[in-house]
Amino acid sequence: MTSSTTYPNEAVIESDDPLRPGNVSVPSKEVCLFLTNYAVSLLGCGATCMRLERNVNRMAAVFGKKVELTIMPRHVHMTVWHPGSDDFFTSISSVKPAPISFSLNTRLSELSWAVADNSLSLAETRKRFRRIVSSDSENPWLTLLLASCANAAFCGIFGGDAIAMAIVFIATALGFNLKQVLLRKHLDSRIVFFLCAFVSSVIGATDFLFPYGGTPAIAVGTSVLYLVPGIPFLNSFNDLIYHHYICAVVRFIDAMVLTGCLSLGLCLGMRLMHVGMF
Amino acid sequence: MLLDFFKDALLAAVAAIGFGAISRVPARAYIWCGIIAAVGHSIRFLLMCPALHFHIIAATGVASFIIGSLAVFISPYAKTPAEAYLFPSLLPMIPGIYAYKSFGGAAMCMLENSQQAFEYYFYQFAQNGFITVTIILAMVTCATIPIFIFKKRAFTATR
Repeated sequence: MTSSTTYPNEAVIESDDPLRPGNVSVPSKEVCLFLTNYAVSLLGCGATCMRLERNVNRMAAVFGKKVELTIMPRHVHMTVWHPGSDDFFTSISSVKPAPISFSLNTRLSELSWAVADNSLSLAETRKRFRRIVSSDSENPWLTLLLASCANAAFCGIFGGDAIAMAIVFIATALGFNLKQVLLRKHLDSRIVFFLCAFVSSVIGATDFLFPYGGTPAIAVGTSVLYLVPGIPFLNSFNDLIYHHYICAVVRFIDAMVLTGCLSLGLCLGMRLMHVGMF
Repeated sequence: MLLDFFKDALLAAVAAIGFGAISRVPARAYIWCGIIAAVGHSIRFLLMCPALHFHIIAATGVASFIIGSLAVFISPYAKTPAEAYLFPSLLPMIPGIYAYKSFGGAAMCMLENSQQAFEYYFYQFAQNGFITVTIILAMVTCATIPIFIFKKRAFTATR
């Protein structure tokens, strides 16, 4: 069965609140549907499998339930049951495609502790969960500015001079802005990575055209580094250490595909600008 | 040398804060991302200086372990999971240039026709690719070890 975000008996739940933690009458179905929804949101925002398992088990224990869950790269498969009874429910839900967000990760983890420490009811937990997932937002202009500064700093770390850093700043600002616009239009992330790498590398390669800069190769090389999918790479190794091999391999492949797309865009941009690779 | 040291630390801090913003860490964690990245990157810089002459892989491993430990111990104070600091702080040490040269080498292998050019670019691809993978492995393994050693502290940070 596939979980849904709506709960048909919501009114009943909130009126007489039978879903008190530890109450044997809390139906496994209600707990399972909520926990599946929670799990896919947490996985979608870039949490590791280890954190996901701990948070879900922590909340399930408060509601007096046991959980068995299978974490797949695009789905979460969960069975919740009440120990000593035949009340159990199984749910499979798709991971929601969402940008990496440690802010959402933090708030969802806080929610799991709030449930554990304050024995929140399921209705209250759902209410807080909805508020958290609907209020996760960012200031796109601040992110754009900080990302551009970060990539320019990267250029400096790798030995780029001030001209190279300025060019990388501009290349990143334009490429990252393009990424924000295209992702808002729900374009495939692989195409987005290819296009952004192409635009940034073409701008980054302009350092070769002017006689002022002394490190043009570093400028073009670092102009696309803001696209390197570092967090999926790092998460994949974290999952590997925690024995979640399937998730680890898939996250690694995902990261490699994106790196391949950005490399393709970079190569094409450099070819267009007649810049040698080494 | 001293100027380079501080310049490297400052640039690593700026890079970590920027990558923190890209991965949407809570605003209160920005400053910690910068500090942890600056400390970690400075340690790697010192280890790789001519006096100590550590290899980049060993230096990255040691610096990553320190970054991981700092992230775990700071996380309860700012009520944010250790990963929120850990990953942006590690990102300035991602071997981007090696990865770029590796993929570039692979692309040039396909574009070049002569055997000599192919061998040269294949060497570039293999050597840089090997270094990239080894550095990432050392970095992630060493940075994650503190989370596994101090599990309780790491997973109660948001309590």
